Amino acid sequence: MSLWRLLPFALVLAVVPLLDSSYLTSVAIIIALHALPALGLSLVMGFAGQISLGHAAFYGLGAYGSALLALRLGLSPWLATPAAIAVTGLVAYGLGWSIFRLRGHHLALGTLGLGIVASIGFVELRGVTGGSIGLSAIPSYPLPGLDLAADQSFFFLAWIVAALAFLAAGNLVDSPAGLAIRGLGDSERGAASLGIGVARLKCRIFALSAMLAALGGALYAHYIGFISPQPFGVGFSIKLLVMVAIGGFRSIGGVLAGVAFATLVTEPLQDLGYYDVVVFGALLVVITIFCPAGLLQAVRDGARRGIRLLAPRAG
Amino acid sequence: MTMRLAVRDVSVRFQGLQALRGVGFELRQGELTALIGPNGAGKSTLINVISGELRPTAGAVLLDDREISGLPAHAISRIGVARTFQGLELFGSLSARDNVVAGSVQRAGLGFWRNLVRPPRGAATRRLEAAAQDALDLVGLGHRADDPAHILPAGEQRLLAIARVLATDGRWLILDEPGAGLNDVEKRALARVIRELRRRGWTILFVDHDMALVGDLAERLLVLDRGELIADGTADRVRAEPRVVSAYLGVKPRRSSMRAAAPIRPPALLEAQGLSIGYGGVQALDRVSMRVGAGELVAVIGANGAGKSTLLKALTGVVVPAAGTIHLDRAVLAGVRTAERVRRGLSLVPEGRELFGSLTVQENLMVGAYSRVPRWARSLPLGGLAATSDIARALERPYGLFPRLAERRHQLAGSLSGGEGQMLAIGRALMNQPLLLMLDEPSLGLAPQVIEEILDALLTLRRDGLALLLVEQNARTALEIADYAYVLETGRLVAEGRGAQLLEAGAIAEAYFGFDRRTDPAAAAGHLPQPAHDLQS
Repeated sequence: MSLWRLLPFALVLAVVPLLDSSYLTSVAIIIALHALPALGLSLVMGFAGQISLGHAAFYGLGAYGSALLALRLGLSPWLATPAAIAVTGLVAYGLGWSIFRLRGHHLALGTLGLGIVASIGFVELRGVTGGSIGLSAIPSYPLPGLDLAADQSFFFLAWIVAALAFLAAGNLVDSPAGLAIRGLGDSERGAASLGIGVARLKCRIFALSAMLAALGGALYAHYIGFISPQPFGVGFSIKLLVMVAIGGFRSIGGVLAGVAFATLVTEPLQDLGYYDVVVFGALLVVITIFCPAGLLQAVRDGARRGIRLLAPRAG
Repeated sequence: MTMRLAVRDVSVRFQGLQALRGVGFELRQGELTALIGPNGAGKSTLINVISGELRPTAGAVLLDDREISGLPAHAISRIGVARTFQGLELFGSLSARDNVVAGSVQRAGLGFWRNLVRPPRGAATRRLEAAAQDALDLVGLGHRADDPAHILPAGEQRLLAIARVLATDGRWLILDEPGAGLNDVEKRALARVIRELRRRGWTILFVDHDMALVGDLAERLLVLDRGELIADGTADRVRAEPRVVSAYLGVKPRRSSMRAAAPIRPPALLEAQGLSIGYGGVQALDRVSMRVGAGELVAVIGANGAGKSTLLKALTGVVVPAAGTIHLDRAVLAGVRTAERVRRGLSLVPEGRELFGSLTVQENLMVGAYSRVPRWARSLPLGGLAATSDIARALERPYGLFPRLAERRHQLAGSLSGGEGQMLAIGRALMNQPLLLMLDEPSLGLAPQVIEEILDALLTLRRDGLALLLVEQNARTALEIADYAYVLETGRLVAEGRGAQLLEAGAIAEAYFGFDRRTDPAAAAGHLPQPAHDLQS
């Protein structure tokens, strides 16, 4: 029933290798890696109706956590990644209990602060994180017969993992429990009156969301092989927000479209360096004002209106 | 099996306000009970205490012998005491069916993490959806199952809220104003549903203002007034209770002799003709015409939901009427923005006062003069501005009318008592040097002596030649000081006349206090007016 959600993943997995373009492959990998934290953010913001402006922190925790477990403890990346995800989930669950005492603007500020604290932590905890230089020589995922450091093969890992994550998230939001989550987003009082433990549910969603981000971060670390604090700053949190906004907050499928759009549009802006955040900011403003239901929905509505305008002539 | 829900000596204090005072009663299983009382009596507070949204300052709520006060709302719902809300709190983005399914999620025990790997459309889901369909059929919304909740008309949304709470499996239902905003047909449907629930074994406590509905349904009535339980019994017993009558209608007016009625009404300052306004299928105002003459004190009375607020919104330009015209000082107001209407002398003292709590009394007053201060002077320091002759003179009026405000001019508005806050709200509106001062429920939630003070101030203003429009639920209070009054009932003008005449006619009290089924639609209102507090106490 919800397997149709896998269609775009199947298409990408089938078509991109055929095109045999190293540029496209690397862009596709970035899309898959960013889609994981964006999916997590969509669960928190779109479905549960909360705000998080610090989601890059969990992306970073996943990346640093998995890299450090592999580097310092010599764990296999296959074990380091789930361990880092679990730790991030626990951290987020614990943080959730305190941060979700806040609401609205206060929650936005609280999570923003969280993101800033984390990004400063990545820089300043030099003994652990390597400071602004970061960590290098992070091992890639070992697999007999396949070199997962190479784009061509990592592409499959990234997209299969992303497909499974989207499938799982889709299962959750379509389940009756997902109705509780969406209900919470519409009316907290209403949800509580139905026996739904609102505080705990928020923490669980937050933890799940953080774990998805950590998964993306860990994959990134073992794929790139070195990490520095820069990609895990507040700028990335804002980028995630834009991606989810483009997709229209409450749409699992929209997240992938939003990430793809944002990545494809801004990939050429890499030369601008930090200034790409300016573009993201402008995009965010435009989308919030003109297409609050997401760019995708706006395009769909526009197309429908166009068809309606043309239809009488055709008939 | 639980048999009793006991409220024991429950008191609730908000800063400075005693919302509930030693309220105690017991509900036995299977009872159908109504909780009534004027606005501000503490009904919502009491429901919030029982449902766990609010912790009582003193006292306890017990289910059988287990104390449930202090538990969080969701825990109380799980124990089986479930509620609906006056504001519904539906999940607007979900379909009607999904709203009900969401109500059953907790008891279905589906967990959280498991759902990541379980196909979402499995047997468990189908079972919940079938149960949801039954609940929707029970309230008569079976055909609406797939429609998003937010597009349903108001009446169906009320019924949906009931269907949703049924899904929780709670056996004790607390329905907060299930009939608010419903038309007669919808109310009959609601009454049918409530009776059916009673027959199927639910214990129900419901709040409503519609006395016809309450008298028709409830076996037992609890009456709250100003935080106290003043009556408990059958409809007939409660109706005969003198304290109940005076809570709703007040005591004999004292001021009716104060004003000799002018033989002819003065020329119109404000005139509305044929105003009609509808919100989402509900006709909030239906061809209402009224006017306020120069120097007149005119009252608009009517119960909750009669259309009084909507009338004010139309006059102030917050909503655009679907039909009808409004003239102020002979100029048409159509298309004139709210700010411009204020500048032309239409001042509103809003319901709930809407003060700027972080500003001082004097600063609040100065903001009231905003439209009188020339544009270039608006960025000048307040202290300097207050010293200019115009503003200083304007400040004399509120300070003269309410000396207590002058004493507290440097106090923050947020720290004022309710009565002082109302004085400040009136004073702030006066700073606009209005042609017409409109007051929305100025007596709401105030103690009798304070109401008296406020009414005296209004009479002083009228004596000084100011035209006033007083919107009140508090029928007797308003009628006894008004030169002329209009009575609204579900959006229609049902009576008008000189205040004293309407008061003496007695028809209003009858119409407003009828427990019996409406027979004559023109006279029967079925709503209770809000309390006219005992002015002699």
